[in-house]
This record gives sequence, C-alpha cells and structure tokens, in this order.
Amino acid sequence: MFNNLIFIILFMLGLYTLIMKKNLIKMVIGLNLMEAAVFLWVIAFSDTGGRISIHKLAETNFNFNDPVPQALTLTGIVIGASTAALLLTLIIELNKFTGTIDRDQIEGLND
Amino acid sequence: MMNWMNIELILLILMPILTAVMLCFSSESNHKINITITLTSISLELYFITALLVSNFAAVKNASFFLQYTIGRAESPFVINFALDNLSLFFSLIVTAAVFLIVIFSVKYVEDRANQFFALFFLVLAAIQGSILTADLFTLYLFIEAITIFTTPLIAFKKNETTTRAALQYLFYGLIGGVFFFISIILIYFELGTLRMAEVAAAFVNIEPGMQLTIIIFFLLALLIKLGIFPIHFWLPRAHSACPAPISALLSGVLLKVYLYIFMRIFWTVISFTILSRFQLHHFILELALFSSLVGHLFALQSDNLKKMLAYSSIGHIGMILAVLLLNTKAAFYGAILHIIAHLLMKSALFLSTGYLLQTTLSYQISDLKGVGHKNRSVFVAFIIVCLATIGMPPLFGFVSKWYVLLAFLESQHYFGAFVVGAGSLIALIYYLRYISQAYLTFKGSETVSIWQENLSFKEFFSSFNAMKAVIYLFTFLIIFFGFSFKFFSMPIDTAIFELLNPQKYIDLVLGG
Repeated sequence: MFNNLIFIILFMLGLYTLIMKKNLIKMVIGLNLMEAAVFLWVIAFSDTGGRISIHKLAETNFNFNDPVPQALTLTGIVIGASTAALLLTLIIELNKFTGTIDRDQIEGLND
Repeated sequence: MMNWMNIELILLILMPILTAVMLCFSSESNHKINITITLTSISLELYFITALLVSNFAAVKNASFFLQYTIGRAESPFVINFALDNLSLFFSLIVTAAVFLIVIFSVKYVEDRANQFFALFFLVLAAIQGSILTADLFTLYLFIEAITIFTTPLIAFKKNETTTRAALQYLFYGLIGGVFFFISIILIYFELGTLRMAEVAAAFVNIEPGMQLTIIIFFLLALLIKLGIFPIHFWLPRAHSACPAPISALLSGVLLKVYLYIFMRIFWTVISFTILSRFQLHHFILELALFSSLVGHLFALQSDNLKKMLAYSSIGHIGMILAVLLLNTKAAFYGAILHIIAHLLMKSALFLSTGYLLQTTLSYQISDLKGVGHKNRSVFVAFIIVCLATIGMPPLFGFVSKWYVLLAFLESQHYFGAFVVGAGSLIALIYYLRYISQAYLTFKGSETVSIWQENLSFKEFFSSFNAMKAVIYLFTFLIIFFGFSFKFFSMPIDTAIFELLNPQKYIDLVLGG
C-alpha cells in the first residue's frame, strides 16, 4: 500500500512537471521523475525480503528476490539515461537557434 | 532442436547493426566505400528475407510456416526468443522491400554526412526488424525504444530550428509512450511471471478483470501515442515533415505500419480480441480512429505545406486502417492488410517524389511548387498518378484497397465507417488537386522543357536518368501493376489472417518447439 502511494505521488509529480512547467529542462526532469517512480515501484514490489542471488538457487531453498524485475529496471535505467542525454542535447541545439528554452516561446514561433 | 537454418533470423537484426558500426567508424571522405557497404548490406538483407520465403514456400502456402531462434538455453525460463510466423514474415518482407528502395533513393539524395545518415538508418532498420521478429515483450519494448531513439537524430538531420523542435517533441511523446508500455509489461510480469508472448497469451485469461483492464489501457495509451491517433496526433505532422525526404518516407510509409503490426500482435495474439471486446473498448477505439481519420483529412485540407499535408493524410489513412482492423472480421483484415501495402507504396512514393521535385527549394510551401510541373514533367506525372491512387482512382492500387475497406465496413453494417472512407477520399481529391494545379501555373522567366526534349527523345531520357527517378518510376509502376493484379497478395494475406484468427497455433509452436 505504502509502495503504491509513493509510486502514485512521484508519478503524478512527474506528470505535473511535464505538463505544467514551461522550462524544457524542467520537463526533462519531470519525464525522468516519472521513469524513476516506475523503477522504484518495480523494485519495491518485487522485494520479497530475500537476499540470496540466483546462482545459488539450485542448491538452496532460501527465499530469494526475483532477479528479472531488477534486470528489467537496470535496462530501463540505461535507456532513461541515454534518452535524457539525447533530450538535453536537442534542447542545447534549440537554445543555439532560438536563444530560449521556454516552451511557449518556442512552440508558438511558426506552425 | 537448434537449427543452423534459423540463424538467418538473428542475422536479419545483426547485419544492419554491423553495417551501422562499420559506417560509424568509416570516414566521411571515402564516399564510394560507404555507398558500397550500404548497398551490399541492404541487398543481403533483402536476399535473406526472400530466401526465407522461397525456401519455405510450401509451408507458407498452407499457413504452417514457423521458425524460431532462441538465445540462451532453451530449458531456462528466461531466454531471448525470436520467432517468425506468416504474419511477421509478411510484414518483414514488405518492410525490407520498401526500405531497400528508399535506401537506393537516398544513396543519390543524401550527399553530405552520408555515413552518419546511413549508420542511423541501418540502426532504425535493425530495430524495426527486431520489433517484428521478437517473441518476447521486454525485447519488444527495447526495440520500440530503439526505434524512437534512433529516428530522433534523423529527424533533426538538417540542423535548423524547425527540425530540432520537431525532433524534441517527437522524442518527448515517444518516451511517454515508452513509459506506459513499460508499466504494462511490468504489470504482466508481476501477474504471470513470464514475458514470453506465447506464455502470456496462454495465461492472460487467468488474470482478474480489473488488472486486465489496466494492462490493456496502458498498452492502448502507448500504441495510440505511437500511431498518432487523434487527441495526441500533433507531434506526427511536425516530425514527419521536418526530416529529409527518405526519412519522411521511412517514418510515414514504413514505421507506422510496424506500429500497426505491433498493435495486431498484441491485441490479437498476446491479448486475445475477446478480452478487448469484453470491456467494450473496441467500439470506443474504433470510433476514435474513425474520428481521427476525419480530423487528419480536414487538417490536410488547411495545410499550406506539402509535406505537412502528406503527413496529415497519413493520419487519415492510419485511422482508417486501425478502425477497419477493429471490426474483427475476415473481410476487414483483408481490406486492412491490403490497404497497409497500398499505403506503404503510395506514401513512400509521394514523399520520395516530393523530395526529388523540391530538391532545390528550401521549404515545401505550396508557392514553391509553382512551375514544377513544367520543369520535371515525367516525375511530376508519376507524382500525379500516385496522388490519384491515394485518392482512390479506379484502376490503381489505392482504389482496390479502399474498395475492400469499404466492403468490410458495409458488411459489418458500420455506416459511419463507410461514410468516413468516402468523405476522406473526397477531401483528399480537393487537397491534392490544389497542389497539382499549383504546379502547372507558369510564371514569367521560367524555362520550360518541351515534352519532346524531356521524354520522347531517348538520348535525353537516358542522360537525365538516375537512381532517384528509377525508384520513383518503380513505385509508380508497382502501384499501377498491383491495381490490376492485387490477387497476387491474396495468398500471403490469407495466411496472415489465419495467423491473426488462430493465436493458438503460435502459442503451441513457440511453447512446443
């Protein structure tokens, strides 16, 4: 329950930042916040209190955490980092052309 | 169990990646070597997929074709799995063929930074092949994200303000779609403990209805954003009109069809259509797609930019295809898949010929077209033929596919759908004629070439002939040819429909093999 609450708060905060903020860099932060909320929730949800790693699985009967969500999250973090870098690169490029990173000023120029 | 023959599946993805790496490290100055690598690689890719079709032709014909390749030990539950059945073979084939022609066009079209262009292009091709071949939801997510990431620099390839803004917007919406996709596959994993499509398909019925609805809604959100359906469509025309002509053809002609394939794969194979219709969601999506189709055509009417108009018209066609797919009858699938091929050919041809005709002008405004019809007569005639096909003029391919879509709507007694098909064609007639008439306006000082010099004299014809023109003529020829002999596609489409209607075959073969 607590996990879900934190997830919803963080996700909505990210979505709010993405929709309401005018600064493009803040929008990138909002998008990353959404992703981070999802990853945090995945890790928290898959935590069953175990601690042993998977390669001992064959010989023991101990409680272990499912490694697949962790692997998925790790991949997701890598994708998130690369897309954040790409977004920031594009924002820098755009700033060279327009001299601003305000969403309203940039979107209203010529449509 | 492991068959060396099946390694072609993984080669289809690895070949473009290797080419991209080679082009990345090669210098821009050895242009000839770069072009040779590019052409060899794309020909090999086409050869592989054609060889797969030819060598398994008997199996394809009686709809029992199936190949899979597994990375990792087959008995372990977590493996990377690639599978090819009739539906994915069909899509892989048409996509590779279209990309082959687009690459030949862009060899001549792209002159500066060609190695960067083709490196990114091949990465997109690898991601497209991967997302068609994969039999695993997480790999599908990775390939979809890869498509988004690698197309972004291509949209901003001509560095200026408009392209950068379009690329930024495209990336933002693509990533939001990606987050929704990730949420829904992680929910599936927590419910079922597996991400292989076949296992998910077999066990999806056992999930409780509330969770099923959540998963379906997140999938729908992700895919509707990617397809550019009405409320979230505004990124699409900007992105599809900002990039160089071959990339417009790739995005609008090829990539949207790949997302349609993913839509079919998820909502007919993984999550069966009965579950979607149990929540009455398919009615809602159908009406939304039809409305989106109408909105796309209306926006195309008011657009003064040729490429933007073509992109809005893509929204119209994609909405129509999605709507007819959701009717879930045999006739509907036939019309939808036929129109997918037709739209792939027509939209690629339109974007490529636009790129060729307006090579020298900087913008694609309607006023730039003035006099183009007199300067490049033969290419412009090809452009007009393709325009007429897109509108739905009788002997051409566009008419045949629209006719089957119309028949499917009438058969299901969905008259609003039939109205949208007709109204869309009528609106399309108006906006295409606007541009065509503009192109035949003459203005003072324009030097016109007589038709004798341009075409009827063989010497002139061959001296002005190049790869770009050849590709445009080939596309036009195919559109005319398939208009008469569309029965050519009835066997592959029928087997693809068999695959859509019998997901159990896919499940049995993946889990059994």
